[in-house]
Amino acid sequence: MDTKDQNKDPGVMFPDSAVSPLFIEDTIATNEPGEVMTAPGTATTITATQLEKAKKSPTPFQESLRRLRRDKRAMVSLGILVLFVLIPIFGPLIYQHIGGTYQSTLNGPIGPDVYHSPFHQELDRQDELFSGQYWLGTDSLGRDLLARLMQGMLISLVVAILVEIVDITLGITIGVLAGFYGGWIDQLLARFTDIMFAFPGLLFAILLTGIFGTEADTVFSNIPIIGPNGNARLILVSLALALTTWPLMARYVRGQTLQLKEQQFIEAARTSGTTDVRIILRHIIPNLFSIVIVAATLNMSNTIIGEAGLSLLGLGVQAPGSSIGVMISDATSNISTHPWEVLLPSLTLTLIVLAFSFLGDGLRDAFDPRSKD
Amino acid sequence: MVQFLVKRFIGLIFVVIGVTFITFIMGYFAPGDPIREMLGNHVIPQVYNQLKHQYGLDLPWYQQYWNFLTHLARFDFGLSYHQQNYPVWNILSDGVPVSAELGFWALILQILVGVPLGIISALKANTWVDTVNMGTMLILYALPAFVLAIFVQLFIVWIDQQTGATWPVANWGNPWQYSLSDIQLKLAPILVFAATGTALYARLARTSMLEVLRQDYVRTARAKGLRERVVIYRHAFRNAMIPLITVFGFSLGLLVTGAFFIEQIFNIPGIAEITITSVNNRDYPVIQATVVLLAVAVVIGNLISDILYSVADPRIKAA
Repeated sequence: MDTKDQNKDPGVMFPDSAVSPLFIEDTIATNEPGEVMTAPGTATTITATQLEKAKKSPTPFQESLRRLRRDKRAMVSLGILVLFVLIPIFGPLIYQHIGGTYQSTLNGPIGPDVYHSPFHQELDRQDELFSGQYWLGTDSLGRDLLARLMQGMLISLVVAILVEIVDITLGITIGVLAGFYGGWIDQLLARFTDIMFAFPGLLFAILLTGIFGTEADTVFSNIPIIGPNGNARLILVSLALALTTWPLMARYVRGQTLQLKEQQFIEAARTSGTTDVRIILRHIIPNLFSIVIVAATLNMSNTIIGEAGLSLLGLGVQAPGSSIGVMISDATSNISTHPWEVLLPSLTLTLIVLAFSFLGDGLRDAFDPRSKD
Repeated sequence: MVQFLVKRFIGLIFVVIGVTFITFIMGYFAPGDPIREMLGNHVIPQVYNQLKHQYGLDLPWYQQYWNFLTHLARFDFGLSYHQQNYPVWNILSDGVPVSAELGFWALILQILVGVPLGIISALKANTWVDTVNMGTMLILYALPAFVLAIFVQLFIVWIDQQTGATWPVANWGNPWQYSLSDIQLKLAPILVFAATGTALYARLARTSMLEVLRQDYVRTARAKGLRERVVIYRHAFRNAMIPLITVFGFSLGLLVTGAFFIEQIFNIPGIAEITITSVNNRDYPVIQATVVLLAVAVVIGNLISDILYSVADPRIKAA
C-alpha cells in the first residue's frame, strides 16, 4: 500500500510516516553552521549584545521562516497571493465608485455602481476592448470583464478557504486519532481513504454536483449572500472538494503523529502523568503545523482548479454568476474572434495556481530542508 | 507472490464495492422521481407502476443495489431516464472508442516523451538544459488541463490569423482513422491531454535516475571502465524505470479527470462529453455508469502497476 501512496501526489513526495523526515529538529538547527554558532576562536571579542544574540538562538520555526524569506520564487508567489486576496475583497468597492454617469441607450443614465457590477449587461457594448469605462473590456453580453474577474477571484478564494477549513479540521481530527490510538479508527480511515482515492481527481465532485446540483440550487438559493447570483451550488462544490481532499490530509497527519508518538518528549510527558487529551492538544497538534500548512497550500491550488473546472463544465456557479471557470466557458465559443476574453481568466488562473504551487514548494523546502535533492 | 496477489485482489473487491455503493446511493437519493418526470403531466397509475417495476425502482434499496452490481458485472448499466427504455450502454457506446483513442495516444505519448525528457534532465542535472526542461515540466504539471487547452487553442487561432491557414480549433475526426484532416483535428487535443502526464513522468524519471546514478553499483560499473553509454543504459536506466511503474495508475487517474475538460473544450464526442450532457438531462444512470467505469478502470490500473512493480522489484513482496 505504501508504494502506491508515495506516488499519489508527486508534489509532496513520500507522505507517509516512514519517509517524512519533518521535525528532526537537531538537523534543522545545525543545518547552517556559522549563523547560529560563534566560531570558537573569537571568544575573547564577544560583546554583551553578541552574547545575547548567541543565547537567543532562533527556534526551528524562525529558522524555517528565514529560509522561506530567502526563497525568491516563493516570496514573489506570496506577493501574488496577497494580491489575490486583496483584489477581490477591496477591488469592487473601489471600482464601483470610479467613473461618471453613463448615458446608456438601453438602461438610461447609470452610475459606475451599476455598469461596474459583474452582473450588469449593457447589450450594445459587447466584446469591447479596454476603455476608460471598462478597464479590461466587456464580454459577449456587455458585462464588465474586470468586475467579473474580481467576482470570479472572490469565488475561488471563498471556495478555497471553505474547503481548507473542512480539510484541516477533519484531517487533523481523524488523522491524529488514527495515528495516536490506531485500532478501528485507523482501519476505518485506511478503508475510506482507499475508496476516495479510487475516484480520481474531480470524478467524485462531478458525480455529486452532477446529481444534486439542481437540487442544491433550489435549496440554498434562499440563503442571503451565498444564495443569489447563481452561487448557491458552491456549497455543494465545496463539500464535494472537501470530501475528496481530507483523506489525504488525514494521512499526512496520521503519519506525522505516528512519528511524533515515538519521540522522547511525548514519552516524557506520558511518564509524568499527562493525560492523552493534553498530550494531543499541547504536544502533538502544535507540531503538525508545518506539515499541515504545506499540504494545505499545495491543496489550495487543486481546490481552485477544481472549482474553476466544475464551473467550466457547468456544474459550479450558474448564470448570471461569475467564476473563473464560467468566464472561460462563456468565452470559448468566440475564441477566434475575441481571444482576449478567454485569455484573461486563463492567465489569472495560471498565475494563482503557479503561485500556490511555488509557495507550497518553497514552504516545504523551508520547513523540511532534507527534502531537497 | 500468491499471498500478495490475493491480498491485493481482496483490497480491489473492497474498493470496487465501496465505489459502486457510493455511486449507487447517490443515484438512489437523487432528487425527483424519474418515472414521474418521464411521464410528464399525464400520469396513469398503471403505466407508472409498470415503468417503476421495469426500472426496478419499486424494490427496496439493497435489492436495487444488488441488481446494480450484478448488472454492472455483465456490462449492463441499466436503462436511461431521459430516453425511455433505452439502455445506458447505447448512449455511452458511441463515445467509448473516441475516449479510448484519446486516452491511448495520450498514454503512449506521455511515456515516450516524458521518460526521455526526465532522463536527459538527470544526465545534464543542474545545467541550463535541466533548468529549462524541469521549469517547463513544473508549469505543465501545475497547470490544469483546461487552461493548457485554452492556451493551445489561442495559439492555433493566432497561427491561423498570421498565416491564413485553417487549422481547426476544435472537433474530432473519425475514430481510429488518420487522414490528414483527422490528424489536424486530433493532434492538439492529444498533445494537451498528454501534457500533465508527460510532466509527471519526466519529473519522476529525473528524480529516479538521479537516485540510481548515486548508487554504488553505478560507481562500480564506471570504475571497471565500462563506457558511459553502457553504464547509463544497461545499469542505470533499467533500475531507474522501476519506480515509474507505480505511477501508471496515478497517470491514468490524471487522464480521467483531464478527459472531461479536453472533451468539453475541444468539443470531442467522448464519454465524458456525453456524461456532461446527461447531467443537463438529469439522466443519472449515465453519470453513474461513467463514474463506475472510470473509477474501476483506475483501480484496475493501480492493481496492474502494483503487480508489475512486485515483479520488477522482488523486495516489495516482503512488505
